[in-house]
Amino acid sequence: MKKIEKNWLEWVVFGVSAALIATVIGFLAYETVTMGDALPDIQLQTGTPEARTGYFAVPVRVTNKGDQTAEGVHIEVVLKTGGDEEHSDIEVAFLPRRGAREAWVTFKSDPAAGMLEARVLGYEKP
Amino acid sequence: MNRSVSNSLREYARGMAGGLMFSLPLLYTMEVWWAGFVAEPMRLVLYVAAVFVLLLGYNHYVGLHQEASRWEVVIDSVEEMGLGLIVATVVLFLLGQIETDHTVFEAVGKIVIEAMTVAIGISIGTSQLGGSDEGEKRSAQSSAKNDATFGGQIALAGCGAVLFASNVAPTEEILMIATESHLGKLLGIISLSLALATVILYYIEFTGSARLRGPGHGLTNVIMGTVISYAVALVVSAAILWFFGRFDDVALLTCIAQTVVLGLAATLGSSAGRLLLQ
Repeated sequence: MKKIEKNWLEWVVFGVSAALIATVIGFLAYETVTMGDALPDIQLQTGTPEARTGYFAVPVRVTNKGDQTAEGVHIEVVLKTGGDEEHSDIEVAFLPRRGAREAWVTFKSDPAAGMLEARVLGYEKP
Repeated sequence: MNRSVSNSLREYARGMAGGLMFSLPLLYTMEVWWAGFVAEPMRLVLYVAAVFVLLLGYNHYVGLHQEASRWEVVIDSVEEMGLGLIVATVVLFLLGQIETDHTVFEAVGKIVIEAMTVAIGISIGTSQLGGSDEGEKRSAQSSAKNDATFGGQIALAGCGAVLFASNVAPTEEILMIATESHLGKLLGIISLSLALATVILYYIEFTGSARLRGPGHGLTNVIMGTVISYAVALVVSAAILWFFGRFDDVALLTCIAQTVVLGLAATLGSSAGRLLLQ
């Protein structure tokens, strides 16, 4: 066989490339083995309301515990103050498998005075 | 003889510039980012494998180092893929598509899916955008080496088709056109694709078409060449569409319609690729 002639730079690039590819393939193989087929399972967590100019913003952390990605995740948050209800909603375009996204919903009245209820209205398979 | 370090540095830089030129539309397309984390990891592995085979084919038949041995072809392909991963990571990061609160799989999926086109671009960029003196020497050698070997033609057609088709394959428009157009128009698209393949290969005289025509070109030759180009285009289109999940839960007719719609773009690549990418 002909001797392979390369300078040090080419060997370095080759070494780094081979390591990168091996890592990526290894990671994907590991994901294939460990990843189940569970449908999207979406959990919502509302954070501390913050006052903004003229409204209140509530951070919502949207987490997908499932093994499948959900598209167009529509989320509704209801603020109940005494007898009154104020609705707010937000749509997350894509929620990757086992991934999370950060969103905000806004209200006119101060959420600190009432109770927040968040729920997922619907989503689709991408 | 060993190449000097500055020479190989220039070669890598040239490759990366070429890779960016060919793949920038994909790096800027959100459907491609989404496909990166929607696809199952197994599909990504298959995609990497398929692109690696294409790179091997391209480097074997056209690659920069014509005198390359089998192992050097493998090494070149590994390097191109590795550089593709690095370039894709850097660009995606700058575009704000890799964030710290994303899962590892999301980031890796996006990078892998983008890096594969970048890698093909790097491969083509390294060998095509080369300095003129080098290039002339090479074209003299290569005309002797790959004088229309069948496997070489297929590999080139495949690379060209992937390069052209992958730019439009992930967009919603393909599915939209496929479901909205009726049979007559699809047949029209097929005819246009075949006509384009014939014209590009045998009529308008792109650089390199003379060699393909050969001395004894007859009608059979033209028909054969056209059919092969279109067949490669259709196979590549179907594979890419499957990869992007466009065949999941879809009626057979829609699958075929999508393949035909994308096939037009792939035909441009496969027929021009056979002439230009060498």
